[in-house]
Amino acid sequence: MHVFVASLLLLVASVHAKILTLQSPRFVVLDSQGQQSRSEPISLTQKSRNPVFLNATDTLKVTFQVVDKESGEGTQPHQTFLRFYDATTDEEGIQPIRVTQGGKAKLELNMARPPLSLPPTGDVPLQVMLYIGQPNFSPIAVELFDLHVPHSQPPPAHPDEASFHLLPEIHHIFRPDQKLPYKLVSAVFSGLVIAPWFLLVGLWSQVSPRLTHLFSPNVLPFILSLGAYEFLVFYYWVDLKLGQVLLCGGVLAIINLFTGKHALSSIAKRRLNKD
Amino acid sequence: MVAFKRLLLLAAAFASSYAKSSSGDSVLVIVEPKKQADYTLFLDGLREKGYDLTFRSPRADAPLLTQDGVPSFSHVIFFAPDTKSFPSDITPQSLVSLLGSKTNLLITLSTKQTSLTSLAAEFSLAPAPPGTPLISYFPERSEPLNVVPIQPPSTSHILSQNMAPVWFSGTPFALGNNPMLVPILNAPPYAFASEVDGGSADSLVDAAEKGGEGLWAGSRMGVVTGFQTTTGARVVWAGGAELFSDEYAKKQISQGVESGNKQFAQEVASWAFQESLVLRIDHTEHHKFNTTTPSELYTTSDELVYTAQVSRFYPERGVWKPYSDLKDLQLEFTMLDPHIRIALPPVEGKPGTYSVQFRAPDRHGVFKFVINYKRKGFTHLLSSTTVSVVPPRHDEYPRFISAAWPYYMGAISTSVGFFLFSAIWLGGEVKAFDKKGKGRKAE
Repeated sequence: MHVFVASLLLLVASVHAKILTLQSPRFVVLDSQGQQSRSEPISLTQKSRNPVFLNATDTLKVTFQVVDKESGEGTQPHQTFLRFYDATTDEEGIQPIRVTQGGKAKLELNMARPPLSLPPTGDVPLQVMLYIGQPNFSPIAVELFDLHVPHSQPPPAHPDEASFHLLPEIHHIFRPDQKLPYKLVSAVFSGLVIAPWFLLVGLWSQVSPRLTHLFSPNVLPFILSLGAYEFLVFYYWVDLKLGQVLLCGGVLAIINLFTGKHALSSIAKRRLNKD
Repeated sequence: MVAFKRLLLLAAAFASSYAKSSSGDSVLVIVEPKKQADYTLFLDGLREKGYDLTFRSPRADAPLLTQDGVPSFSHVIFFAPDTKSFPSDITPQSLVSLLGSKTNLLITLSTKQTSLTSLAAEFSLAPAPPGTPLISYFPERSEPLNVVPIQPPSTSHILSQNMAPVWFSGTPFALGNNPMLVPILNAPPYAFASEVDGGSADSLVDAAEKGGEGLWAGSRMGVVTGFQTTTGARVVWAGGAELFSDEYAKKQISQGVESGNKQFAQEVASWAFQESLVLRIDHTEHHKFNTTTPSELYTTSDELVYTAQVSRFYPERGVWKPYSDLKDLQLEFTMLDPHIRIALPPVEGKPGTYSVQFRAPDRHGVFKFVINYKRKGFTHLLSSTTVSVVPPRHDEYPRFISAAWPYYMGAISTSVGFFLFSAIWLGGEVKAFDKKGKGRKAE
């Protein structure tokens, strides 16, 4: 019930809302020596065209008196807030201004000791607004000016904050490909390696052995199986896998064993017969 | 005519049965039986959508929130902001464990200190001191100072655009920097927390000078704030229950302008109850480029193809449909740290499919394909698939290297030499040498 009554009273009050006004509103910029570098009256209808620049040692002073327009008497409003707002980062700071019973308000913003309410700042100026609210009076909202202050540290971010945004891409850096010498160099050295064969072929003509028993049925199987062994090793390099080589090699080894034994014993027999 | 009406009703019932949450339809509403009628519009809206509401008095012992360790409801609404002590099964701890089992909560606070107020602190929310509601002198209006019209943000994913201002009364809370918080409705810049009457101007200045959270003022304060847990459950904290009430839904913002409360309440509930902004990864697959079969084992420097299928829940029909509108999905290939992090773009012509081809690092070990997509308001998409990346096997190295030609030649020479020597020795004649060293045939 009393809420209803209160709202009814407020309704009545707002219909006859009284009007507040600011007397001699003014802002002053002081440098570190206390010298005035700028002093301007504040317009309640229009935002100051020139932004205010503060460096790290300057002080901004805002003064005004809140008065009841009707009676002309100073009054202390409930809400006298200065709002600093950075539109790009959405950071905001609210600084209440202390107002005396007589309505006199004074705020000093010393950049050497910036107040906690000043939001983290970047390149963009802070928009400065003044809000005044008092029961039974019409509230006042005034856009004062844009304020340039020195850069601050960015606001501390939560450790997980980064994972809520697009993360920088990472690309793996691969080891560079192995460098190979020119093929010509490889070919020359390959030629060097097979050069002794020319010498060997030359010497062959000097020795010119006669291979009379090469195709004898005692020797030929052993020579062929030896050849097969060499071919198997060669084929291993080109295409085969270890298991295949071991299997084929195992079979070949048994054949080799018997053909070899037979061939060698036949040669031994031949020599013995000759003697 | 009656038959036609019945048909219409049936059609309405059928249509409404489509609209379901992606995580279940049972809702427990904790509300004083006397006050139940205050929220008729909101609760009927939920019923129309197909939710199954159960009511419980804040002092009643049943129905239980969890029975035998299993949550009994998919969603819980707390419309008992003034209740100081709840029955033994409703404690801050039990609510946290409910969230762990993916139950969604809609919690309303008031300017009174309750056990839920202290729970809010665990969600990086700092409610204003007891007895100090959000008040505002702006705009000039006939309502009490603590009944504040707030314009919902136009950039929100959760709320529709161009919504009318909503009436709010209750406590504001300062928001921590926890990224799991999802601000839904913030206080207007000119509003602040203070006693409705008797609050002095000097106490506000003193509070601000204390620093920290001394003064609750400005648009950095939340009045309705969501929180999405790592388990995917959603909580909405509202500073006042009146926001959802019939009174505020019917209360006009100005002459002839309806308030946005009714719509706002439904949209907040549809976010909280996993209807809107719900995504999921249906499946992922990976294979070597130019093949189609997936493998557990890849070789270093292989060209790999990774594909993910993403769906979104559409509450109007209650169905999951492929969703291709994620522009900033990223894939990581990690072994402890990400070795590769690249964009995972949608594939044109294949709805819901995201695919990328990349070369595996030339480093062996156990790697993971990781999707870790977290955006405020949306369901977090998490996927991790483990594969091994091994060095080439002994037979996978190149066999014919030009630099090794001399070695090949040497080996082949040796083999051929051995074979020729064997053949000549086995098949040749034995020559006897005389003492002069001149070769002569033995026979």
